[in-house]
Amino acid sequence: MNTSPDLAQVGLVLVSHSRRLVEGLAELVGQVAGPGVAIQTIGGAVDGSLGTDPDRVLEALQAAAHEPGAVVLMDLGSSVLAVNAALEDLADEQRAWLAVVDAPLVEGAVAAGVLASTGASLAEVAQAAEEARDARKL
Amino acid sequence: MPANSDPPANGPEPPLSRARERGSGGEGSLADEVALIVALPDGIALHARPAADLVRAASKLQTPVTVSANGKRANARSILEVLALGAVAGTELTLSASGPGAAEAVQTLAEVFASLGS
Repeated sequence: MNTSPDLAQVGLVLVSHSRRLVEGLAELVGQVAGPGVAIQTIGGAVDGSLGTDPDRVLEALQAAAHEPGAVVLMDLGSSVLAVNAALEDLADEQRAWLAVVDAPLVEGAVAAGVLASTGASLAEVAQAAEEARDARKL
Repeated sequence: MPANSDPPANGPEPPLSRARERGSGGEGSLADEVALIVALPDGIALHARPAADLVRAASKLQTPVTVSANGKRANARSILEVLALGAVAGTELTLSASGPGAAEAVQTLAEVFASLGS
């Protein structure tokens, strides 16, 4: 049993306006994906209030931009803008290890986390997250 | 007879409350569907963690398996589809697959279901 993130498994970067929202989501994803999937959370503004912190988003993306890659999921609005801005500050070879996914945050993160725990590739994990957009829950 | 006609053999009695084959009875054509009916063990609902165990096992198989319950169908490799089945303890689920490896695939996942309660 892994006790720490496994560098052979694709990771997740979760970006939200709320620290508690992404920390709770990381807890949920960790339960289903196991401890081998690295999950980074960036939530809230610099002062801890609801909002975004572009510097921390950039730091997280830089930290995640390595083999075997990471899927990036955002909640809404300025989280998306912050991720897009951060991508522009990364080198091409860093961007290649990141898949920014247009998917509902909770469903996308759960789907991506479970698939990542199987050792799937970045493209496969990103596709699983994208498919969450069309998944019916009723 | 296909190889999956034997009940799961781990334990003194079959771990599934009911397991039976519902093959189409053909002569091994690729279109043959193999199906097994399994029931979720007592106290186990197909919540996120057990569903994830199933999805991980299904992802390792070459053959796609469909899980059906409550009038819905799910790709066994999709955690969101499996969760949307809404299966609670005692729910009967049908595992089905077609083509090469279908019998082994449904048998493998039936054993995963049986082990969920242990």
